[in-house]
Amino acid sequence: MTDSAISRPGERERIAVKLGEIDWLLAALLAAIAAIGALMLYSIAGGSWGPWADRHAILFTVCFLAMIALAVTDLRVWFALAYPVYAVGLLLLLAAAVVGHTRMGAQRWLDLGPIHIQPSEIIKIGLVMALARFYHSLPARSAGLSWWLLIPTALILVPAAVVAHQPDLGTAILIAGTGGIMMILAGLSLRLVAVGLVGLTAVVPLAVMFVLKGYQRARLLTFLNPEADRSGAGYHIIQSKIALGSGGLLGKGFGLGTQAQLNFLPEKSTDFMFASLAEEFGFVGCASVLLLYAAVIIIGLRIASVAHSHFGRLAAGGVIVTFSLCVIINGAMVMGLAPVVGVPMPLLSFGGTVMMTMMAGFALVQAVRVHRYSEVTSGRGALL
Amino acid sequence: MFEPAFHFDEVNERQATFHRRAFLFGGVTGAGLLALAARLGDLQILEAGRYKVLSEHNEFEFRLTPPPRGLILDRNGVVLASNRPAFRLLVATDENVDIDKTLADLALLVPMDDARRARLAVDIANAPRRAPVAVVEDMTWEEFSRVNVRAPELPGVTADMGEVRVYPFGGAFTHVVGYVAKVNARDIAKTGPNADPILLNPGFRIGRQGVEKAFDLDLRGKAGARKVEVDVKGRVVRDDPGGDIPSTPGAPIRLTLDADIQNRALEVFGDDSGAAVMMDCRTGDVLCLASAPSFDANRFVKGLTGPEYKALSEYDRKPLFNKALTATYPPGSTFKTMVALAALEAGVSPDRTYVCNRHWFWGGRMWSCDAAHGVQDMHNAIKSSCDIFFYQTALSVGPDRIAAVARKFGLGQTFDLGIPGQKPGIVPDSAYKRRNFPHDPVWHAGETPSMGIGQGYVAVNALQLAVMVSRLANGARAIEPRLIHSIGDTVQPPGNAAGDLPIAKEHLDFVRTAMASVANDAGGTAYKQSQLGLGLIKLAGKTGTAQTHSYNGGRGAHGAQGAWALRDHAWFICFAPYDDPRYAMSVLVEHGGFGADAAAPKAVQLMRTALLKDPEVRARIVQPLPPASAPAPPEPAAT
Repeated sequence: MTDSAISRPGERERIAVKLGEIDWLLAALLAAIAAIGALMLYSIAGGSWGPWADRHAILFTVCFLAMIALAVTDLRVWFALAYPVYAVGLLLLLAAAVVGHTRMGAQRWLDLGPIHIQPSEIIKIGLVMALARFYHSLPARSAGLSWWLLIPTALILVPAAVVAHQPDLGTAILIAGTGGIMMILAGLSLRLVAVGLVGLTAVVPLAVMFVLKGYQRARLLTFLNPEADRSGAGYHIIQSKIALGSGGLLGKGFGLGTQAQLNFLPEKSTDFMFASLAEEFGFVGCASVLLLYAAVIIIGLRIASVAHSHFGRLAAGGVIVTFSLCVIINGAMVMGLAPVVGVPMPLLSFGGTVMMTMMAGFALVQAVRVHRYSEVTSGRGALL
Repeated sequence: MFEPAFHFDEVNERQATFHRRAFLFGGVTGAGLLALAARLGDLQILEAGRYKVLSEHNEFEFRLTPPPRGLILDRNGVVLASNRPAFRLLVATDENVDIDKTLADLALLVPMDDARRARLAVDIANAPRRAPVAVVEDMTWEEFSRVNVRAPELPGVTADMGEVRVYPFGGAFTHVVGYVAKVNARDIAKTGPNADPILLNPGFRIGRQGVEKAFDLDLRGKAGARKVEVDVKGRVVRDDPGGDIPSTPGAPIRLTLDADIQNRALEVFGDDSGAAVMMDCRTGDVLCLASAPSFDANRFVKGLTGPEYKALSEYDRKPLFNKALTATYPPGSTFKTMVALAALEAGVSPDRTYVCNRHWFWGGRMWSCDAAHGVQDMHNAIKSSCDIFFYQTALSVGPDRIAAVARKFGLGQTFDLGIPGQKPGIVPDSAYKRRNFPHDPVWHAGETPSMGIGQGYVAVNALQLAVMVSRLANGARAIEPRLIHSIGDTVQPPGNAAGDLPIAKEHLDFVRTAMASVANDAGGTAYKQSQLGLGLIKLAGKTGTAQTHSYNGGRGAHGAQGAWALRDHAWFICFAPYDDPRYAMSVLVEHGGFGADAAAPKAVQLMRTALLKDPEVRARIVQPLPPASAPAPPEPAAT
């Protein structure tokens, strides 16, 4: 930075300056992805704004404005709210487990009068904030290998276990994966990482056989051999691959995707949204959208890297980790490379709560970018 | 609370670690995204062709369109079997459709009892891919409009137009034309592993009897298909007319039958049981092949109810049975024409006489005749149908020579009619006894007199007698009966291709003259009953009264007396015009009594119909008008 108005004390606190510090390229990329999602939802509804496209567009607009408002909120507010958000999320999650509303065979929804809340979405963002908050105050040595690490481990595993119990395997994997990668980013001893990976490869097959519910195991086994069960669990994977493959290089054209239009593609507006896109716009369309996602990830990681505070660094990094995991898990699932777990394609898939979570996450990323020179705290307010 | 602070955290260890590991994470994520792109390339570029085919299999279906069934026509093009449009009511299950409620509502509009409703509910639930199930197959217009008015309140119900086979003459042609009926599992099993898929089409009918069965594949045609785009639940989203495969209509089949004569036959029989077969004795074309009583084939198309079938099958006059082909009877005295010919061919003089005293003792038993005919030569014996004469003539010729002649004239044989169901009957001789009676393989002389009067083992069907009298009438030309005139444009070979039988013309003339006497001489057995009333056009014939049951002690039950089932069968064979034979026929009246009384009058009616339809014969009957220039004759005075 050269000598400029911005380096004057207090100058950075002005709203107009903060708005200018927002990463508008990132915001534009997010808007582009959401717009593509809205157009695809319009197409697969048979050329109709209802029932998905209009709601998708309106919700994104609202979330986008909220993101800007939250982006200019001082990072210290985010910092202070980290544990409370996590605590509220966890409480709601436990409440849902007790009195939750069962939908599609899983207890994921909390019915609060007119609004339905999916607590697992709140905990996603809460966990990122809480872990960043925790590591902000932890010395590098302790982050490598120490008994202190039991705390973040618990912060991760408790919600992951509750979500897995709902049962929502996809979100549980997402929570555990995000938490684990954040611990690595925070400096977890690589030796411990290696041991963990080895342990995981040993534990996963046992978990598949003994811990997973019947339908979850069926999905996993079906993923390994989809042709064995064409009309049952393998149906989703086969139809999704047909949608992708029949799209070819350039796709069948906007509004002409027969797999989605004729409902051969299941969950076409949510989990298999990417397959709808692939059918109508082909390899070129898919690769372009993947490039948009890659751009978002690169910009996000850069924002995390230039943050002065460890909280900001890890918070932005954690959001991008969640985002990346979502893209890769959903992409792999749609292409038949991973079992069918309920992870949507961020911003592209229809689904209100997921979009709110993602946009809240990007609000945090933008806040880190706007307040990248802020130190948050000198140690006071830290857990220890 | 939030004190801005300045720390050189940028250079500390935690930040450096974060930078390295964030970079590593970015790399791993990038690799993951590249892997996804590679997979996309594999699916969307390398394997795109395969998945495009799979996608089209999902998207498009071919719905069979049944071809119109071929018509069945008579020799003049009169339609004997055709198709008429019919409204069908189809019900398919779908989301938000309560089938039970829909069926209950439907039951108020169209006849449907509870048992049928329950069965339909199961059928609809089990239908593959929500295929519609025909609930009512042939609705009246009133029912159709009733349902249409209420259509918005009946989710899942659709109506379409199909075709239903219709037989405009009801029962008159049933035994020849047959009928169509629902396809059953046996029909499908019979066609082997690759059954014609049209058989599975709801409401499809297959030929069950007669021409409908024998030429089912010709009549059926080839199914076409409608290309439709369907959604995942099998619902038709739209038609794709460009991909339709047109159906090939079934070939029409033209018969040699004459609708007027055949219909007249059923009228003439009324409630009587029997058969009438008329042939053009010059060509072999079968003009009439009637079996009475008959039954309405249209009922079978709809599907017979249990009580209806029971009534038909238990009626003692056996309407389901084709008495012209499938039933064999003793020919009675009509067989004497064959015995006489065999005797003449064997060198017996037609002038040899026997004396008939009504009874004749031979071989230790008494043989009887209808009357004491006195001295009989062959001509008189045919004319008066004297049994005593033919007992002894048969004995002098022997069974083998009689059988040889009878076979030449078509008895004991089946013909290539095209429709199934012919029984060959029996023309007995010594070889027959050897074959069929292992414990008594010898022809006993005592069996010959019975054969001489067409009783004993002799059994024939009405078609065989019609062929026999045709060959007698046409001068021993070995015509074959032809029932199928053409299939589509392929005309079947006519029946008169064969040469003449090796029978001396004077012997044939002798028998034909004697048959003329039967019908036209005052002493002939059928003189009274054989008058055509067509001026110079006369017929020649032979009566037959075939005993079906042993008369207990004498001849008390002869003729139309006693219980119906125990009475004699009445036969009459004839041809006309006598001097220029064109039409030959046999008439059987089951348990009708005397041939002259029961069968001959029916034959005369049918012969009149045939003769009056023939323009050449009409020309002989109708007198030319007086010349136009001649003054009109004065009005005859009223008397």
